Formats: sequence, structure tokens, C-alpha cells
Amino acid sequence: MKRQTLALILLPLALTAAAVACAHNALCSCFENDNGTITCEGGFSDGGKAVGVPLHVFDAAGKVLLEGVMSKDSNFTFPKPKVPFRVEFNAGEGHIVKIDGRDIEK
Amino acid sequence: MVATLKNKLLPGLLLAGLASTTAYAHFQLLYTPEAALKESAALPFALVFSHPFDSGFTMDMGKPEAFYVVGQRGDAEKKTTDLMQYLEPIQWSGGDSKAAAYLAHLPRSVTRSLGDYTFVLRPAPYYEKSEDKYIQQITKTMVNIGGLPGGWDEPLGLPVEVVPLDKPYANWVGGVFRAVVLSNGKPVPHAEIEIEYLNHEPQIEAHRFDPQGKATAPQDAFSTLSIRADAMGQVIIGLPKAGWWAICALNLDDHLKYKGKELSLDAVLWIKAADMKK
Repeated sequence: MKRQTLALILLPLALTAAAVACAHNALCSCFENDNGTITCEGGFSDGGKAVGVPLHVFDAAGKVLLEGVMSKDSNFTFPKPKVPFRVEFNAGEGHIVKIDGRDIEK
Repeated sequence: MVATLKNKLLPGLLLAGLASTTAYAHFQLLYTPEAALKESAALPFALVFSHPFDSGFTMDMGKPEAFYVVGQRGDAEKKTTDLMQYLEPIQWSGGDSKAAAYLAHLPRSVTRSLGDYTFVLRPAPYYEKSEDKYIQQITKTMVNIGGLPGGWDEPLGLPVEVVPLDKPYANWVGGVFRAVVLSNGKPVPHAEIEIEYLNHEPQIEAHRFDPQGKATAPQDAFSTLSIRADAMGQVIIGLPKAGWWAICALNLDDHLKYKGKELSLDAVLWIKAADMKK
């Protein structure tokens, strides 16, 4: 295949990839429920769902306390850790949201 | 001769002055300080019936017929929350007037999820003596939490409403805002529209408007901008200054009566513009 032809094929693909990457940001917000659990809700700034996006809860030393994936409603609920923690919603490179446990309110 | 002419003109000028005062447009406020919040918070609302550009002159509100919010996170199901329980009757000061109005202090739980929240107020009809008719303005104010959209561009099925074509909470100063006027779900060609800037910022806890306005109109026609929707019922307005702007579509159903009088059923949408700065 000629190099020029390859470029013609690759260029639209590259543009599409760039468009997808620019058009939305990963969003995640957590709140504490009355029963002592924490619910994190995810999504994208274009309104897209976050189904299956992994979520990790780390302690202060960076050890994974628990992990899970966003449900079909783009939610993940877990028991509130007894130690200081942070939540990481990981929708891929450039789409990671980190939330400090101290910022999570009712 | 000149003095005589002046004397003859003076009463006429006074009358003209009075006439233009009563011609100011009424707008139902459904005010909260911020339209686009980074995260959920307890939101204060002021429900005031007023002339937002000129003087903040305020008129008595009766008990609202409905006050609720429709929230949606992304394309998840819409969730409606009734807010009537939060209404607190107060007296609100604006210009030289004081009138019945309402506050609502909503807990954080009302807007706890990410997404769009459309607050809807259906006030009691207001009797306008000078026109011997009732006015009822079904009003929408939209708030977004966290940048995740959810249904901002969809009609809510209200009898009359202004449906956004741009996000009402994400507008730069200098941009334009577009919307479609609907009556019973259908676009209203050439609908009569009034636009006003919320010139006197509400001071919610003081129950009043800031007596200092932010802008001065060079002439009366600039206080209330009267325009028409196009043949498709679409409205486009510019946003030259930061703050809240209201689009009010007037008298969208010709045949309505209330207590034997004509009822002007209007639809109001509030939108907010932000300065582009560092």
C-alpha cells in the first residue's frame, strides 16, 4: 500500500479518535448514605453512561481497600472504610477522577 | 408664547410618564445565585414577581399552584421532586415597593446527584388592574451539577414553555442563546417575546433587590426588549452581560379565562451568562 493511501485511511481515524477524546470528560461524584455506605455516581460530560468503568478505593498508603465497576445505572455503592481513603474512578488515560474521602458529604 | 406652550405640554408629559411606568414588563423570578455548580449544595431560591431591569418593583404573589424540580443524570430516568413543602412566605422589597413573595431553602439532598435540574414554578394567577386581566407565568430555571448533562433540551410537557436549544446554565458573555416557544407541545410562530436582564441582584437573606442596578438603559425600549419568535417559534438572543437573563413568551393561549377575566398564560425561562476570565 502506498504511504499516501495509508495516510488517507489513517487520517480520518486519527481525527475521529481525537474528536472522541476531546468531546467528553469523565465525571464522578460520591455521597454518603444514611446507612453508612457511600455511593459514587459516574458519567461523561456528553451525558454518556459510565457502565463497567472500574472504581478503586485506596487507603492513605495507596493500598487497594476495595474495587468494583459501575453498575448499569452508572453507580457503585460500598461500605464506608473505617480509615482515611480516596476513590479513583478510572475511565482510561486522561479520564481519571480522584475524590478524597474527607470531601464526601451526606 | 413659549411659556404657554410649555404649560399646555406639561400635563401631557406627566401622563406620558405615568403610561410608560405601567408599561414595564412583569417577570416571575425563580432565582438562585448559581446555575452551574461544581458539586451539589443546599440551594436557596427566591420566588418574586417583579420588574427585573428597571427598579425591581415587586408585586404580590399568591400561593404557588406548583413548585417542583425535574432532575436527570445523563440519559437515566427523570426524577420529579415536589418542593411545595419548602415554600416560606415572606415580604420582599424592591424599588419603593414591598410585596408578598416566597423563599425556599432546599437541602443538598434535592440536587445530590450529578446532572440537570429544571426547577418549575406555576404561580397563582396575578390580577393586573391596569389591563383588567390575570397573568400566570409558568417559569423554569435550570441548574446543573458537576457538568454532567441530562435532559436540558427536552420539553417537560407543560401547557406552555420555552425549551432551550443551548444549555441555559453554560453561556459565555457575548454568545447567543436559542430556544423554541411551545404551547401545548407545538411551536408558536411569531410568538410575542419579552427579554429582560436581572439588573438588580436579589439579596436573598435580606429579602430585597440590590437597590443599585448593574446597567442603565439609554431609553425605555432597552429595559424590556420586545421581540418576536420566527416562523418556527424559535428565539435567538444575544448575551452582552454576565448574570441572569429571562425570556418571557406572552399570552400563548388566546382562549383562557380565570374568574371571568382574560388570562394571559406566559412561559418564562431564565438563563445565565458568565464572563470569560482567568
